[in-house]
Amino acid sequence: MRIGIIVKRISIYFLLILAAFLMQTCVFPILGFLSATPNLILIITFSYGYIYGTMTGMICGFFAGLLMDLFYPEAFGLFILFYSYLGFFSGLFSKQLKNDSLIFPLILCTVNELVYNGALLCYRFIAVGRMNIIYSIFKVIIPELFFTLIITIIAYRILLNTNRKLDKIDNIRGKNVA
Amino acid sequence: MNNRFSKNILIVVSILCAFLIIISYMQSSLLDPVRHYAGYILTPIQSGISTFGNAVAGDIEENRHLHNVYKENEQLTERISVLTEENNRLRSETQELQRLRELYKLDQTYMQYPKVAARVIARDSQKWFRVFRLDKGLADGIQKDMNVICSGGLVGIVTEVGANYCTVRSIIDDESNVYSESQYSGDTCLVKGNITSYEQGTLDITNISKDAVFNDGDAVVTSSLSTKFLPGILIGYASDINIDSQHLTKSGKLIPVADFEKIKEVLIITTIKTDSGLVDTGVGEVGEVTETEETEETEETEEAEDIPQGEKNTSDGELDIDISSEEEGT
Repeated sequence: MRIGIIVKRISIYFLLILAAFLMQTCVFPILGFLSATPNLILIITFSYGYIYGTMTGMICGFFAGLLMDLFYPEAFGLFILFYSYLGFFSGLFSKQLKNDSLIFPLILCTVNELVYNGALLCYRFIAVGRMNIIYSIFKVIIPELFFTLIITIIAYRILLNTNRKLDKIDNIRGKNVA
Repeated sequence: MNNRFSKNILIVVSILCAFLIIISYMQSSLLDPVRHYAGYILTPIQSGISTFGNAVAGDIEENRHLHNVYKENEQLTERISVLTEENNRLRSETQELQRLRELYKLDQTYMQYPKVAARVIARDSQKWFRVFRLDKGLADGIQKDMNVICSGGLVGIVTEVGANYCTVRSIIDDESNVYSESQYSGDTCLVKGNITSYEQGTLDITNISKDAVFNDGDAVVTSSLSTKFLPGILIGYASDINIDSQHLTKSGKLIPVADFEKIKEVLIITTIKTDSGLVDTGVGEVGEVTETEETEETEETEEAEDIPQGEKNTSDGELDIDISSEEEGT
């Protein structure tokens, strides 16, 4: 019974992240008026980590990283590492979840984005050997952070409410689910 | 409790990832099958979604640009008349060029590479990497290191091939370095991708020798020195060429021919450059889809009509003979 629920949950996470990933790679880049694309899979990773705890955050992070690794011709495992850590890190704050307040998710989003892009910046520096840091910060990181924050405001509420309904169906409490 | 359990799993995941990263650095082809099998599932979905997305984005763009179109139309009609005149002048010059080329037995090799058309089905959403994915793969005969062009200019190189997709690293990526030369003087240079420069729509040109003849506006093409890029593919036009501070080399900017922001359809050149020379995989067709080829042919037919009888006899090109026989038929 419980295993059934866990399997169901994990497949929901996977499908959701897959959908977000496809949006991010196939739809957003075509829309020319966006100067940067929001990082949807990061939003899902840290939101689930924040709502359900470290384990769920890590599972979502793993899927998100896996898809990124399958897409980019970089070293395999790099994105799994980044996203798993971000999911775990966000899960550490799940005790803070007491009400529907958006402040904490937005702080988490900012921290996650900065850590993630900072890590990528370092990786690129190692791989390429040169990097214009000021340019990267103003033209890559900040626009992406801005769009991701806007989408977080919408997406976080939707994720939270849908999951509450799912919890009711599965008759479990919000915490300690896979 | 839960935290401690997941902490252990995190450690396991970290070790696994570190292991995978080391493997992919030491032997990158070892993990390719994983990406290939995932491609069987992902590619059809990405292909479908990007078709849908293109349709939607197309509608939005259409509405945004419609009011500009009328104004543009007027300007363009004016330009057509100017261009027609210029075209007439150029046609006579091409005719001369054609004759000179035959004299020197020069071949415009670039136009003769066999090509396969492909569609962009996914691209990176972030600005860190400049890679995109096409809907042609091993099943269509695509191989690693094939060159990719778009609207007459070099776009990138195939870095990874799956059964039904391939990943292309574009030349504006930070990791991209292309050995090139000035089409005019033949002096070599290195074209480097740089995300900072690309914001201004340019790439970097470096390593030009101090004494090289390299002027602003020179066409820059891929050099035969390059190990992976086929010779003679147009990349773009040089600008802002200046002598470096140490007075040993020159460097500057390059304005690329291809529009990297709006790539939708590209051509993959199916000839591969190896250590032993150019290898034709026999997949693509010469002149497939390209507009340049068609126009060239029409030009040639018209030239044949223009050339006086005496001169036509001297030129022993097969095409000319074919045309003259056709003319006799009609």
